Amino acid sequence: MATAEPRSAGASFEFEGRTIPSGADDTIASALFRAGVRTFSRSFKYHRRRSLYCLSGDCPNCLMTVDGEPAVRTCVTPAASVRRVARGAGWPSADRDALSILWRLRWLMPVGFYYKSMIRPRWLFPIAERVIRRIAGLGPVPREPSESAKERLNHHPDVLVIGGGIAGLAAALAAADGGERVLLVDEGAIGERIAPGALRDRIGVLRDAFARHASASILERATAFGIFEGPLVPVIDADFLHLVHPARIVVATGAVERHAVFPGNDLPGVWLGRGASRLAGVHGLSPGRAIVVATNTAEGLLHLDVLHRNVTRQGGGAVVAAVVPASLASGVPAGIEVIADGTVVEASGSGALRSVVVEAAGRRRTLRCDALVLSLGLEPRDGLLRQAEFEAVLGAGDVARPGCSAEEAEDDGRRTAGAAVPEPAAASSQSSAPQLGSAEGFVCLCEDVAVEEFEHAWDEGYRSTELLKRYSTVTMGACQGALCHAHLKAFVRQRSPGSWTGSPTRARPPARTVRLEDLAAGARVPLEHHTSLHERHVASGALMDWAGTWKRPSNYGDVAQEYRAVRERVSVMDVSTLGKYRVAGPDATALLEHIYPCHVGDLKPWRSRYTLLLNEAGYLLDDGMVCKLGDGSYYVTFTSSGGDGAESWLRDWTDERGLTVHIANVTASRSAINVAGPRARELLSRLSSDACDAQAIPYGGLREMVVAGVNCLVIRVAFVGELSFELHHASRQSEALWDSLLDAGREFDMLPHGLDALKLLRLEKGHILIGQDTDFDTTPSKVGLDFAVKMSKPDFVGRTALERIAKLPRERSLLPMTFAGARAPEEGAQLFADGAHVGNVTSSRWSPALDCGVALGWVRHPDGAPPSRVMARDTIGHTEGVVTKGPFYDPKGERLRA
Amino acid sequence: MTLKLTCPNCGPRYTTEFWFGGEPVPRATPAAPGVDALRADFERVWLRTNVAGVQSERWFHHAGCRRWLVTERDTRTNVFHGHG
Repeated sequence: MATAEPRSAGASFEFEGRTIPSGADDTIASALFRAGVRTFSRSFKYHRRRSLYCLSGDCPNCLMTVDGEPAVRTCVTPAASVRRVARGAGWPSADRDALSILWRLRWLMPVGFYYKSMIRPRWLFPIAERVIRRIAGLGPVPREPSESAKERLNHHPDVLVIGGGIAGLAAALAAADGGERVLLVDEGAIGERIAPGALRDRIGVLRDAFARHASASILERATAFGIFEGPLVPVIDADFLHLVHPARIVVATGAVERHAVFPGNDLPGVWLGRGASRLAGVHGLSPGRAIVVATNTAEGLLHLDVLHRNVTRQGGGAVVAAVVPASLASGVPAGIEVIADGTVVEASGSGALRSVVVEAAGRRRTLRCDALVLSLGLEPRDGLLRQAEFEAVLGAGDVARPGCSAEEAEDDGRRTAGAAVPEPAAASSQSSAPQLGSAEGFVCLCEDVAVEEFEHAWDEGYRSTELLKRYSTVTMGACQGALCHAHLKAFVRQRSPGSWTGSPTRARPPARTVRLEDLAAGARVPLEHHTSLHERHVASGALMDWAGTWKRPSNYGDVAQEYRAVRERVSVMDVSTLGKYRVAGPDATALLEHIYPCHVGDLKPWRSRYTLLLNEAGYLLDDGMVCKLGDGSYYVTFTSSGGDGAESWLRDWTDERGLTVHIANVTASRSAINVAGPRARELLSRLSSDACDAQAIPYGGLREMVVAGVNCLVIRVAFVGELSFELHHASRQSEALWDSLLDAGREFDMLPHGLDALKLLRLEKGHILIGQDTDFDTTPSKVGLDFAVKMSKPDFVGRTALERIAKLPRERSLLPMTFAGARAPEEGAQLFADGAHVGNVTSSRWSPALDCGVALGWVRHPDGAPPSRVMARDTIGHTEGVVTKGPFYDPKGERLRA
Repeated sequence: MTLKLTCPNCGPRYTTEFWFGGEPVPRATPAAPGVDALRADFERVWLRTNVAGVQSERWFHHAGCRRWLVTERDTRTNVFHGHG
């Protein structure tokens, strides 16, 4: 029977040089098993031969590299669309693996050897790591970017049901009957793993009844891998990362048959009952020619029946003996030898099962067989359930009450769907602790941990489930504790009965292995803001770069020329990214007077002032301009990245003080172009009949002008240190205004300038950039902005703190400095004075105007006066500098006041 | 964190739309400067209750109405209990 053809014609895939045919219902594993493959993997540490065991995606035995992706669970992956499959570990091959010698050398690798030996020499570790990874057969991580581009999809059902077995379907159906919107997800296709029979028929009936509801949705081959706060349940399928935000969750993930620990329990030919039953009932394959079934449950008898009927009918083998409690003996079909009240104590064979030793009534018997099927009770598959401590999450069916009958599971599911209030998840009361009789059997198949290793670790002092877990790595493998968690608990409880140390370990996402690629589904380039002039910049060849969430021109090709245009002639810059707000209302003046440290009340209409924004600790939040348009009517600006925060600050204080103020964010609807340079006024007068001389719009003033037919609010500003006018206008007219300015500017040989030139221009003026030159705890006096703080005001936000800080010695200042050497230091260079580290450079450029390096840097001066000479050390070398007084350029500000 | 809270202006939204504003603290009112006022100011600016239980806290709905709201949240369970 092992060589039988697939039941229905299907595709094929390549397996290490062979072509493996597969049927429509085949998983990769079943197709391989049919083709005679018996060695599915080599174990992680000792290279033990491993074959199919659970056939449910719970054990690590069938992990293979599929189409370049390592560690794919081939027993639950449909074979249909697969092209290439290979086993990971084994040299020269998984079938004949010289590294299986490691099993004989295991005394060299006791539990924890890794932590004790991988210490010195340190250079050896990266090499050893590579070798170990290779030997372990973890498979290569794909180097190429993935082709798949999964999207995120949000769902907001009333109820999410995880698991489409009897209990899950009953819960989903009951909730849908009650008028709720229900999303049901299942790892596989619903019912596909159940052998044909009454149970599978019932699943089909429930599924059809559920699917008929308009409010029902089903996701199949979709893995829920965690329950996060919210609750949020991420579910991955072939096309999407589904983000499910349900009001309630029913976890019906079922149970795993208990993993039995005895010598030889990992031999190929040892099966869990559901796995063997699935192989025979669903795939029409026999686990062996001579099968021994050991069970103590009613479910086990069902598996025995499925095996007996299918295997004997197909003539591939026979169930030769059943090891059952005497009470179940009557359920064993005739013709099968019954060994009543027996226990399997050992399995042996070289590379495959040859015989098992059964102990019954004090006597040991050896049974020759090539398949041992174990159905010894259930352990809940509760990795998800245990993650959800606080959420509205209920378990239904086997996961909450392992070993319940199908009828009980259905009742439980129905009842769970109706339960409005979470009740404590029922403990797995029916299952007794698993037996840990022998020291040699494997507790953990993923990491090759045997009972004797628990004992070593215990003797070394790792005496709780959490510590044993970390030291031995049990439950940390691909199965995430599905098989071994119960044994870990049982071991600790046996050693220290009644202690908290035997509690279940903390369950965390992911409950199933996930690909990083899937977690990144839907991740995009972050939100990208464009100004209304974006297309113009791109068209003129500007180098665009990130500035916060904005894309802004760094330069248009020649920073030196752009700089000279501003200093010598005239230039324009798109400054639409500034945070811009209209603030008006009866209490507008009171609000601004309260949050700004400068005077606002004495501001006359059409006058403006540079302002700082401070928090209550006296620390700088942002800076900008406040412009008065009329009584209780203001236009205020903030920095490009600080506008949103400043708005929340304004609104906060408006609410707090109970003021009547209207705040409108016009950052997007109003654009701004700065016209700067000694000939800026000439340029404006070419395009406007409104006066813009020093009387009409003096330094510190603003006015409305029509420029090139566009209504503008024109504000005199100082940032670059030349005569400059900021033209604030409606965004839809921005391109027209920009074009007119560039057109008229030809006469002046005008160029637009970008951020590179701007940063140099402002640095020559000693103007700080909030965020670049400041930290979260920067007070105005530390950065030379005392002029913008009026302590004569009776109150403003931050005043009390500043008053207190003023009494303390200032130990750190941002200082201007010049570097006369061949270059300016790099931004971020470290500063030294008299050999001692004193600070760092925050802004630095080579200044064409001064013909030397100019910089701003933080300097510590705990003893009073700051040093006069500093040395900057950066990635290139050293530069000697002198602490000076700013501004470097036009210190009296005559040019900008022109 | 994907908690859902109900904005009085916009309805139920995920907290990713909000900025967290911390515990509401009484703001200083203009007062004559003095040692006690300084002390009060210090405590107001820097000290928080940080209860293990139901806590009032402020959120700014930056991706919605751009208004501040005050909620009651149990810090042990992350369950919101309506609005203050």
